[in-house]
Amino acid sequence: MLKEKRASDIQKTLAKYPSKRSAVMPLLYMAQQEYGYCDDNAIRDVAEILGLDPTEVKSIVGFYTMFHEEPTGQYVIEVCDDLPCALRGADDFVAHCERRLGIKAGQTTPDGKFTLRTVMCIAACDRAPVAQVNTEYRYALTPESFDQMIEELKGQDIK
Amino acid sequence: MADLVNLTIDGRLVAVPKGTVIVDAAKKLGIDIPVFCYHPKLKPVGMCRMCLVEVGTPKVDPATKQVVKDEAGNVVIAWMPKLQTACTTTVSEGMSVRTNTRQVADAREDILEFLLTSHPLDCPICDKGGECPLQNLTMGYGPGVSRFDYDAKQHNDKHVPLGDLIFLDRERCIQCGRCVRFQDDVADDHVLQFHERGRHMEIITFSDPPFDSYFSGNTTDICPVGALTTADFRFKARPWELASAQSVCAHCPVGCNITLNTRLETRTGGYEIKRVMPRQNEQVNEIWMCDKGRFVHHFTRAEDRLKTPLMRDANGQLVEATWEDALSRVARELSAAASVAGVIGDRLPNEDAFLFARVFRDLLGAAVQQQAGLFVSPRVPAAYADIARDYGIGATADFKALGKGDVILLVNGDVEESAPVWFLRLRQAVVERGATLIVAHSRSTKMHRYASQILRYDAGQAAQWAEHVIRNTQHATPPLDLEQIKGARNLLIVFGDEKLNEAGARALARSLANLLILAGHAGKASSGLLPLYPHANTQGVCDMVGRAGPLPERVDVAWLVGVGDAEDVPQAAFVIAQDLFLTDLAARADVVLPALSFAERDGTFTSGDRRVQRFYRALPPLAQAKPDWWIIQEIARRLGAKWRYSGAEAIFGDLTAAVAGYAGLTYPVLSETVEQWPPMGRADLYYGGTVYDNTGGLGMRYPAGVEQTGFTPHVEWLPAPEPTVDALRRPVPALYRDGELIRRSHVLAGHLIAPGEIPVLAK
Repeated sequence: MLKEKRASDIQKTLAKYPSKRSAVMPLLYMAQQEYGYCDDNAIRDVAEILGLDPTEVKSIVGFYTMFHEEPTGQYVIEVCDDLPCALRGADDFVAHCERRLGIKAGQTTPDGKFTLRTVMCIAACDRAPVAQVNTEYRYALTPESFDQMIEELKGQDIK
Repeated sequence: MADLVNLTIDGRLVAVPKGTVIVDAAKKLGIDIPVFCYHPKLKPVGMCRMCLVEVGTPKVDPATKQVVKDEAGNVVIAWMPKLQTACTTTVSEGMSVRTNTRQVADAREDILEFLLTSHPLDCPICDKGGECPLQNLTMGYGPGVSRFDYDAKQHNDKHVPLGDLIFLDRERCIQCGRCVRFQDDVADDHVLQFHERGRHMEIITFSDPPFDSYFSGNTTDICPVGALTTADFRFKARPWELASAQSVCAHCPVGCNITLNTRLETRTGGYEIKRVMPRQNEQVNEIWMCDKGRFVHHFTRAEDRLKTPLMRDANGQLVEATWEDALSRVARELSAAASVAGVIGDRLPNEDAFLFARVFRDLLGAAVQQQAGLFVSPRVPAAYADIARDYGIGATADFKALGKGDVILLVNGDVEESAPVWFLRLRQAVVERGATLIVAHSRSTKMHRYASQILRYDAGQAAQWAEHVIRNTQHATPPLDLEQIKGARNLLIVFGDEKLNEAGARALARSLANLLILAGHAGKASSGLLPLYPHANTQGVCDMVGRAGPLPERVDVAWLVGVGDAEDVPQAAFVIAQDLFLTDLAARADVVLPALSFAERDGTFTSGDRRVQRFYRALPPLAQAKPDWWIIQEIARRLGAKWRYSGAEAIFGDLTAAVAGYAGLTYPVLSETVEQWPPMGRADLYYGGTVYDNTGGLGMRYPAGVEQTGFTPHVEWLPAPEPTVDALRRPVPALYRDGELIRRSHVLAGHLIAPGEIPVLAK
């Protein structure tokens, strides 16, 4: 239970807001850190802590793309393939990512390390192709820099 | 009025209150602006874009700050470059709106084309077909042909149960969010939300239990498509096959105005209620009703309804009898008895209760050797109904007017369980309009969420508590802020009789009346008592019968009218029972007489706030069953009465002449209507939903005692006895408690709660 595991973090977070319900997003991030994704139990945990209906919390998780309702890899790599990025070769770049990771966009590698996704516009068209890796941006990627990044991340453990 | 705003819509002038949105202002001129997401009872969100119109405001010269006029002296209108949503744009002085231009028509066609991209073509099997805003507006403004690829339609889940009462069809949903907003803003039960966004957006519930709100049926009325349907009505009938009769809900003291939709069934050869719908009455239920009222109706055509009179034969078995035999037997027993007790249930209409009381006043007990007593079941509310009438809210009191400056004191009652629609109205007075709520109770209820002060006492101690805090507030802990109550604009006291016996409940009501007097609110039009009675006509039956003495333990003949399985009936050598069903009590009777339900006859109920309302016959009589007033009259005639009432209306004429407060009421007066605002139930289904227009009458609240001449309010403290074991054992109110009717419902039976169970507190 999140309530026990992160008791002091929760208290600190709640103290920042005038009403409990305002803390729903920070608590969901906390739940996602703890469980890897916002599964049904995590949603019910957060709802209980904040005195919200679980339906309201589920709705927030569904609305924001950075809350995951399904298990993901340790690193979620989101590559933009919207129009300006496509003009900068994003389609070929995504194809390379798929080959390198051995999965299709939308899938997770069998070792649970990487999830690859395509997204619409992450506001960095000027430095395309661009990818968001968890919360960090990687700009002006090339097949070579992508491969190098994968090698680096493979050696690290997020937890 | 100073806060009126003048504007022009399609060249016509209209003045509306400040803050009105364009859609409503247009409605005042009879100009229909189509909407999907907007609903006059919900906050506007501007999601669907169907209401786009041209809007302009007077052009102002930036240099002089003066309104610019043309050569002819007319104000120049600066039209906004883009169409505006008429549902979120509030009116402003001098505004000009155009709803009938080519540009507006094109916008409507475009919006409809988008809404229909993935809408399934299943109108022929959709329950909404025939009364569907999307269908109607597509006919009115939509494109005849879709330019989208049929095979590219998105297919989503159909028949998704959101609970066991409401089903969702995800591909019919147009994401207007009316259901979500109803649950958030009106019911305060946040069990429906949107999930995902864009083309993947859908309605979900992730609550436990899922969609199980007491008001869930209303979402199907305001859903502008066939996305939400009820488990009761889905696939049962087409709207155009239905006949409708205006009625009043018979299941709680609110008296919601309803419409009973019936259809002739070829299978059974008889009429059946197919669905129960709300009927607009802004004074009572606006356009809402609770799920019990909507889904409990199946008892009217239950297999085990009593269809003929029954009498005990030589072997002691109840067997079918003719009316003549049964009535003669009853009359013989009544004439010969030395003691008779009549017990009448508080669900019966006024007319029947009035006749029953007349039998006891004029016929029985007339002989010297005969004792006759008349009682209301249940007995506890009957012990204080006269106080509730004398100090009740004024004849003109309006729930809508409750707000800032008013104090609502809720004592010892659970509004949501006892009178669900009053919960909506009182909550709105507090949350939306700023009334102050003080709650005093021995346990928590949903109403506690909105209280600014919560006072506690032990279960069964309400009467002691009330006397203590009202007489001696400075020493009570915590004290009731008498100064705040005195300073209030109005004081509405809502109270229940949980865990109290007759004497305790009467003492509580009396103390609360004293508070009204002491705080200076007695006799004010919008102040007074509002009792949370157990049934639909507690006030009316008590008005007809008057207060009774103690119930005798044993009598020669007990005559029970519509009491169900009441416990407060005397032992008797001979028992007469009039009822809908062979209840356990009726099964022990000597003569059982089959009665008609409210749906099969005319009559009036008096709601908990003393509004006398007419209901009309929706179904033909079942088999040989008769209205209770007819049965009572036939027995009375055999006892020597000369009555020949042809129907409920004729009885009502004599009733109003005899019963205090009812003078001046007639069926035609009760049938009067005035235009309801916002106007609903018209051809513009997209505006209000499938609520029915009220043409059957708004009813009338009769004056409280304090409003009648010759009445002097007086303070009187009654002894508050310690609670009795029986009273403490009495279950607390729960919407799904009275099992006799609910267990015969095809959809509600599973919601029945166990005798000792307390309803789950809303989170």
